[in-house]
Parts: sequence; structure tokens; C-alpha cells
Amino acid sequence: MIKIKELHAYYDLIEALKGIDMVVEKGKITCLIGSNGAGKSTLMNSISGVIAHKGSIMVDGQTEIAKKNSRQIARMGIIQVPEGRHVFPGLSVEENLQTGTIVWHGYFGRKSYEAELEMVYELFPRLKERRRQLAWSMSGGEQQMLAIGRALMARPKVLLLDEPSMGLSPLLVGEMFEKIVEINKSGMTILLNEQNARLAMKISDFTYVIEQGRIKMSGISAQMQNNPQIAEAYLGKQAAAQA
Amino acid sequence: MLHGAASPDNKNGGIKVNFSIFFSMLVNGLSMGMIYAMIAMGLILLIRAVGVLNFAQGDLLMVGAYIACVLIMDLSLPFYIAVPLSLVLYALLGLVFMLATYWPLRKASYPVAPIIATMGASLVLSEGTMILFGSWPRIISPVLKNAQGKALTVNLFGTRLQVQFLLIIVVAIVAMALIYLLFEKSYIGIMMQAAAQDKPTAELIGISTLMTTAATYMLVVVLVSIGGYMVAPVYTVTTSLSSLNLRAFAGTVIGGFGSIKGAIIGCLLVGVVESFATIRFSSYKDAIVFLILIVFLIFRPQGLIIDKVADKA
Repeated sequence: MIKIKELHAYYDLIEALKGIDMVVEKGKITCLIGSNGAGKSTLMNSISGVIAHKGSIMVDGQTEIAKKNSRQIARMGIIQVPEGRHVFPGLSVEENLQTGTIVWHGYFGRKSYEAELEMVYELFPRLKERRRQLAWSMSGGEQQMLAIGRALMARPKVLLLDEPSMGLSPLLVGEMFEKIVEINKSGMTILLNEQNARLAMKISDFTYVIEQGRIKMSGISAQMQNNPQIAEAYLGKQAAAQA
Repeated sequence: MLHGAASPDNKNGGIKVNFSIFFSMLVNGLSMGMIYAMIAMGLILLIRAVGVLNFAQGDLLMVGAYIACVLIMDLSLPFYIAVPLSLVLYALLGLVFMLATYWPLRKASYPVAPIIATMGASLVLSEGTMILFGSWPRIISPVLKNAQGKALTVNLFGTRLQVQFLLIIVVAIVAMALIYLLFEKSYIGIMMQAAAQDKPTAELIGISTLMTTAATYMLVVVLVSIGGYMVAPVYTVTTSLSSLNLRAFAGTVIGGFGSIKGAIIGCLLVGVVESFATIRFSSYKDAIVFLILIVFLIFRPQGLIIDKVADKA
């Protein structure tokens, strides 16, 4: 689905990504793990066209998106759920969901988005209950549901989830990950950036470990989970002893 | 000129206020308040959309009046051509204003730059108009005229009123209601609100902030220019029309910068107070308005009405 080659990204003079090669397979969950500042979010932001980068990002083996801006990339169906949720605080839940449709609806369009709305409300019944509520007044978990729901309204082909568990209670994190699996089962390709390495590897098909702007390791998640090196670095000493 | 319908007789230090005078003062005050409210609504929409306090708001109103004056008086275009044409020109003015004062400066390292730019634009607009049209006030005929071609008047509750004042109130309410509905209820309005609240995220999900910002500026300039066209027949067309901005600022501060509803109430208050002040202290009416402003700034600086979320458009 997405093939990345020799990707470099910069914040002014600092090179945050130092040549990334990776593949996001169609219909699978691919996860990025690594410590803070390793470059996971930078990688997400490079794919979605938010920050300056060099290299090649091919979609479906035919379209090069490395030079496109974030709006053009969104219109291709590659939709990012930004880190920290970023719902529109002064809009109601339903209006927030409505904004997700802009990529295929057009400013003066008259197309119906009832089907998408129904699908999102079915996935997150909580949002339906709160459809008239302003987004700022909702809890962190509900805002995360809303941010994912808004992305789904865009009829995405690929979903880029940037730290969906950030700031959520452990119970909610579990619930959120079940939803992510559910979205994936409907055929969605997902790239997941996650601090919680154990959970990320459990639900994903492929894992990439990023360290200091480079891919350190990669492989099938089920095997990576049992890799003693990863266990020691990202899952804690206890897990390392078990592995 | 401004309060021609019931000009106060100041020789004896004031006049007796009967109902007729009271009523005509009230209508005059409300209609001027409506003009201020249109300026204030535009002011708040721009603050929300781009965080810019527009000091050229009054000059845009003044240019709007001149555009109408040229189309109707100089070119003597019929009403049904002049009105749509002036609306198109107002929207273009808004687009040019946005591209000149905001877009190139939006990422300036000095965040006040676009606000300073509106001050510059204010000077350019007023001096430019002065160069083009001279400093003499010009007359524009009211929208509704009687058989002699003079301003139409009606008798309401035994009071003779210029219809133009009533028309200002009606047009202002309709224009503000339409813009409110567009922002709150329409699809593109939701996109404009989203872009106003969080520009990077709006771009990320595919909203063009250039497009929404341009649309906001165009709507705001159309709104204040309509105000200029409506007020011109009772005020004459002159560059000093831009000073209406100050009273709109006062009304906005009194009502509260966070709420359009509050700003409209504040502006109506300013209009009415100003109108009644002419009965006794004609030359000090501005002083009284700004005295109230100072009282508000001391005792209720947050304004009459506070919105729970300031960024809800």
C-alpha cells in the first residue's frame, strides 16, 4: 500500500529521520514502536505531508506523494489522526464528524454523509449519545473516539493513528485498541504509532522499531514480541526474563 | 444631519422631551446601533477566524459607501444592477484586503504584524479615497424616495420618521441573521469555524485554510460595506464615515469581545445613548459614550455577556 524509501526529515538543521525504508501492507496493522524522540511521530508527519522531508513515499506502487502537501495527501485517502486528538473544541460532536467529509464532499457539495455518520455511530455509540455536545466538554477518551471517527468520515484507505492511547486510562486504552482491531477487520490499512509497545505488538501484524531516526529492527509482530532484545528495551526486565 | 428627523434645539440648553421626540430618538439610536453592530460582528468574526483585530473596519465601511455612491449617483445605474454589482465589488474588496494585509504576514515571526497591517490599510484606504474623491462630503439618495425625490418619511405613533432609519434596522438584521446562519448551519460555515479554531488540524484533514479565510474576509467586508451603503444617505458620503469604527469598538468592549450577541447589545446601547445624549449635550455625545466605556472597563471589563467557549463562532 505505502512503500517508503530513503526517507529523511528535518527540523531546521536537525535531521530527525536518517533514511527510513519501510512498507505498510494493505489491510494490515503496521506498528511503530520506539522511545520518545526516536522519530515515530516525525515519520507519521512526513507521510501526511506536515513536515519537510526528502525521499520516496509511493502509494499503491504508482503515486509518489513525497512532494504533495497535507491536503492533497488527505484527498488521496491517507488520513492522519493527529497526536493529542486535536478535535475542534467549539464544534459539536456531529459538526466535528462533518468536517471529516470535506475531502470527498467539497465546500458546496450536496452529497449525503448519513451512511458514514451511521457507521461511526455504530462503532462508537458514545458519540451518538453526545452528538450535540461541544467537543471541548468531552473526556479525553471520548475526544480520541471523535478524532478517529472524524478520520473515518473521510472514507480513508489508510489510517495513520498517532499515539491513540496518549493520556487515556489503562481501561480505556484496552477499549480503544479493540476498536482499532475492529476497524482493521473491516479492511482498513492502519499505521499505528504507539508508546505502549506490548499492546501495539499484540494487535499488529508487522512491527518496526525506530531508534534515533533509523529502523533498528522489523518483522512480524508475533515473532518480535518474543525477541529478547525488544523485550529488554521496550517491555521491561520481567518480560525479558520470560522471553 | 445625522439626527435630522428631530434636531434638538439647544438654544435654551435642552428641549422638552415628549413621546414623539423620544420615539424618533430611539429609532435613530437603534438604527445607528445596528450599523455599529454590523461593524462589531465583522470584527469578532475576523478575530475568531484569524486572530486579527481589524482597525480598517470603519474605512472598509467608508469605501463601501463610496462604491455605492459611484454606482448609483455617478453612473446612475438602476437599483437592481447597482446592488448586485456593489455586493460583488464588496466581496472583491474583501479578497484584496485579505491578500494584502493578512495572507503574506500570517506566519510572520512578529505575531502582531497583521494587526499593524490593518492600521496601515486604514490609512491607505482613507487617504486613497481622499485623493480620488476629494474631501467634500457627497450626497447619495436614499433607497426609498417620495414623489419629490426627497427622503421618504412615514408617520408612526404620531411621529414622523425617515424610512431610511427603519430600513437600516431591517437590512442590518437580515444581513446579520444570514451571516450567522451561514456560519452556524451551512456546510461551508462549519468548515470555516473548524479552520478558525485549529488551522494545522484543518489543513491535515483537508480543509483549505486559504479558502476559508478568504471566504470569511469577503463576508465581513460585504457586511460592513452594506452598513456603509445604508448609513450614507443619512450621514453623507465622506471619509469621516470611518470614525463609526470607534463607537463599534466601544460597543464591542461593553458587550464582550467573546460574544457576537453581547457585541450587538453593546452596540445598540451605544447607539441609543449617543442618540439621547444629543438632546442635552449635542457636542459631548461622544464623550458620554466613551465615559460609559470607561465605566465598563473599570467595573465589568469582561463585557455584558461572556461565552463559555470563546472560540465558538
